[in-house]
Amino acid sequence: MGGPLPMVESRRDVDPQQVPQVGVATSRIETRRFVRGAGTYVDDMQLDGMVHAVFVRSPIAHARIVRVDCTAARKLPGVFAVFSGDDLSDAMRRGRGTGSALVADLETDYLARSKAVHCGQAVAVAVAETPYLAQDAADLVEIDFEPLPTITDPEAAMREDSPRVFEQLPSGNVVQELHFSTRDLEETFAAADLVVRERLRSHRFAACPLEPNVALAQYDARHAGLTVWVATAGVHGVRRTIANALGLGEGSVRVVAPDVGGSFGAKNGTYPEVVVVAALSRRLGRPVKWLETRVEHLAAAAHGRDQIHDVEIAVTSDGRILGLRDRIVADLGAASSVDNSVSSAVLYMTGAYDIKSYQVDAYGVATNKSRHGSLRGIGKAEAALTIERLIDIVARQLGQDPAEMRLRNLVPETSFPYRTATGAVLDSGRYTECLRQVLDTAHYTELREQQARAREAGALRGIGISFVIEPTSAARRRVGGGYGACRIRMEPSGRVCVFPSLGQQGQGHVTTITQIVCDVLRVTADQVDVFESDTSTSPFGFGTGSSRSSVTLMPAVHVASNQLREKLIRIASHQFEADPVDIVVEGGQLRVAGTARPSISFQRVAEIAYNDIDQLPPGVEPALEVTGYFTNPNISYERDELGRHNEFAAYPYEAVVAVVEVDRATGSVSILSYFSVHDCGRVLNPTIVRTQHLGCIAQGIGGAMYEELNYDEDGLLINSTFMDYLMPTVNEIPELTLGHLETPTPFTPLGAKGAGETGTLSPPAALGNAIEDALSPLGVKLRKTPYTADRLRRLIRAAEGETSGVTEVGAWRHA
Amino acid sequence: MPEIKVTVNGVEHEAECESRLLLVHFLRDVARATSVHVGCVVGRCGACTVLWDGKPVKSCMAFAVQARGADIQTVEGLSALPTFQQLQEAFCAKDAVECGYCTSGMLVSAFGLLGRNPRPTDAEIKEAISGNLCRCTGYVNIVDAVKSAAQTSAASISSR
Repeated sequence: MGGPLPMVESRRDVDPQQVPQVGVATSRIETRRFVRGAGTYVDDMQLDGMVHAVFVRSPIAHARIVRVDCTAARKLPGVFAVFSGDDLSDAMRRGRGTGSALVADLETDYLARSKAVHCGQAVAVAVAETPYLAQDAADLVEIDFEPLPTITDPEAAMREDSPRVFEQLPSGNVVQELHFSTRDLEETFAAADLVVRERLRSHRFAACPLEPNVALAQYDARHAGLTVWVATAGVHGVRRTIANALGLGEGSVRVVAPDVGGSFGAKNGTYPEVVVVAALSRRLGRPVKWLETRVEHLAAAAHGRDQIHDVEIAVTSDGRILGLRDRIVADLGAASSVDNSVSSAVLYMTGAYDIKSYQVDAYGVATNKSRHGSLRGIGKAEAALTIERLIDIVARQLGQDPAEMRLRNLVPETSFPYRTATGAVLDSGRYTECLRQVLDTAHYTELREQQARAREAGALRGIGISFVIEPTSAARRRVGGGYGACRIRMEPSGRVCVFPSLGQQGQGHVTTITQIVCDVLRVTADQVDVFESDTSTSPFGFGTGSSRSSVTLMPAVHVASNQLREKLIRIASHQFEADPVDIVVEGGQLRVAGTARPSISFQRVAEIAYNDIDQLPPGVEPALEVTGYFTNPNISYERDELGRHNEFAAYPYEAVVAVVEVDRATGSVSILSYFSVHDCGRVLNPTIVRTQHLGCIAQGIGGAMYEELNYDEDGLLINSTFMDYLMPTVNEIPELTLGHLETPTPFTPLGAKGAGETGTLSPPAALGNAIEDALSPLGVKLRKTPYTADRLRRLIRAAEGETSGVTEVGAWRHA
Repeated sequence: MPEIKVTVNGVEHEAECESRLLLVHFLRDVARATSVHVGCVVGRCGACTVLWDGKPVKSCMAFAVQARGADIQTVEGLSALPTFQQLQEAFCAKDAVECGYCTSGMLVSAFGLLGRNPRPTDAEIKEAISGNLCRCTGYVNIVDAVKSAAQTSAASISSR
């Protein structure tokens, strides 16, 4: 039996000679632990007396819960307790919907009581000695449901007469509404040589980290305190939600994320099951663990994308984009809170282009599907897909090369920082250079020649281009994200302990943080310990997401490191009676430049700071503990008189050229090559950035070609396991050619923009363009994702005159 | 309930368990080989891959009782082998690990491959890990790491 393990990286494998520096490729510290199988994920933990919770989930998408009978379930041997939502109604306060863009406050139960609003929603919970026995008990819970009409079409859900997911909401199923317009739309569209109208859809899929959601709660009645170990990307948010739900002060709740097996947005926020597990621990006086199955994860963890864009684009005959009008309907599922998918799509429809006229009407709609949430690139991916597909569609109509059309409209380098129509301030960029670089690398002209020859030979070969921006590090009122923080303490031994406000789920933060600290303090990596994701010790943070670590956290680490360095210098210079300017810091020592005087060690300075405080210079406080902050830059919290504001701080971007061939008979797509030029500003660790980017591309390919969450008309999720939710394997990854540019953001001291999401945005856009290009001789139009072989085959057959009776290729159908 | 005995990394573990207990759960909860991870329970993701008499097997696809008499090896035990350490080193050097959740399974599948095919082609490496999902790295570095380990191993053999 083991309790929680300390989260200190093993230092004995770190090269003691190495002083890691920012910008230098440094291998990750944490890798050593993982390759030994010594990671500690929540499910690895066992506590004395621990019991296991399994949730009963609604098999029906929309129903009143009439009766929950746990009698038979409770009788099973080894079963500790079985609860309905009503049974736990006094154990938890109701949850309040979050998200400042919500139309109205919504209160919901963490364990459903009166109504189930999506398939897979937790409606009861069984607790037993083993998860197997708990599942047996869960299977014996009898629930009488009174089915209600199911709402699965977001556009139908907007109608007055539609059944309602949340009856108490006066606006029906519209939970979010955003409108924006520049003032010149009518004139702009009137002046256009061509207006193209299209309907483009992104489909629903999920972030699907390899580690499912899991939580372990231990309530200690002696101290009236609760500890929750949970695979989360944001410990402070979870703490607040649990504290509110259980009527505890934050000081009584400690939330810890040990090693987390990936997030990609799925582990942002607080799942209702985690709150229930915490309540169970207090009710039962035992540690309670919950590990969801993959079936549950696909059914009940946050879903992403799934937007309909009815968009109009106004252009001149030579391909200059004059304006854009968009109506967005976003299917947010049974959402009692809203995420950034609608707001970010609204803000970034104009993409990387100089488009001055823009109007959008956007609706976030509740349906009886699972809740919507952060999925890597949330909102921005939907915008990028739409504008990038649109450009190729228009270019084809104008008879223009899509590369030329992009070059004509990209924001020019001289315009940065560039304010878009919605007020977003694009910080820096060399867009034209980036696009030209990828076209060069891909030998674009030759690719077109090869395509022509391939076509003559009957192959369906296509070339697609995309240029995406990926806004990072959002901040706004009520939701937060305003700053990063880092506390650093030099211990009496001279070792350094670092406490960042954000934690990692695979992004290598510990390594990057160590690089920054070592670079400033000039110590070796084995002298630095990083502690993260623990509300007891971590400065308040907003959760890892929005690629904000490079933009807010790392600068805060930099600030704190420099604060500590300055204090060391001040104390040492006082000892030396020398000018601080003359002090050199190297190898854990401080000395006076240009003299042979003996140096003072960090350990000696620490001794002065902690013990011999009479030796401190006047005005310098004891101890060597500093907290550095970095405020999220380039953010406007209020809209101006034109309704404009800037919600994201930094703007990495990527240009892609993709070459595909479509098999005429099967519809399957081979990606022959994929060229990427990526600019995420200053690169803090080239190794980590490259691997992050590769992972983004892989996930983007999955979302473009293979992954989909399909609901039938009754709101039943059809893809329930990895057998029918197709995650890309190694074989789905094509040959990748990566290039990069480094255009720092002027808004942070380190110049990094974040690399966690950008590469995910391009595949649906570039591959969609490539596939439509490939199928253009057949006149096929591609307006929906994903680009599965099944769909493409139907489109090809329909175009070739062999209709199979299915003209609208959309939702999955049983064969 | 039957007494289930499974030899894990050379040590016999014994416990009274339900006969339906999956091998992966026996390994994690009884033998405490927590390097073996649970990702999907339908044999698709490979996070639970272990060596069963030297062959990579998805331990969520077997009952613990079926492993009676078998020699099960996990990363905890394999880490003692110099040839496995070469693979671990290569994973570190090539940045083949991010969140670490797929890593144990990847290492075992790769080690199983190198045991039967010390000079694999890229295609053979990909085939060997095609049953192991990774969501973080995009696989490129993992393939590079296995290739590198194979080359290191070949070099050390040829230098004898």
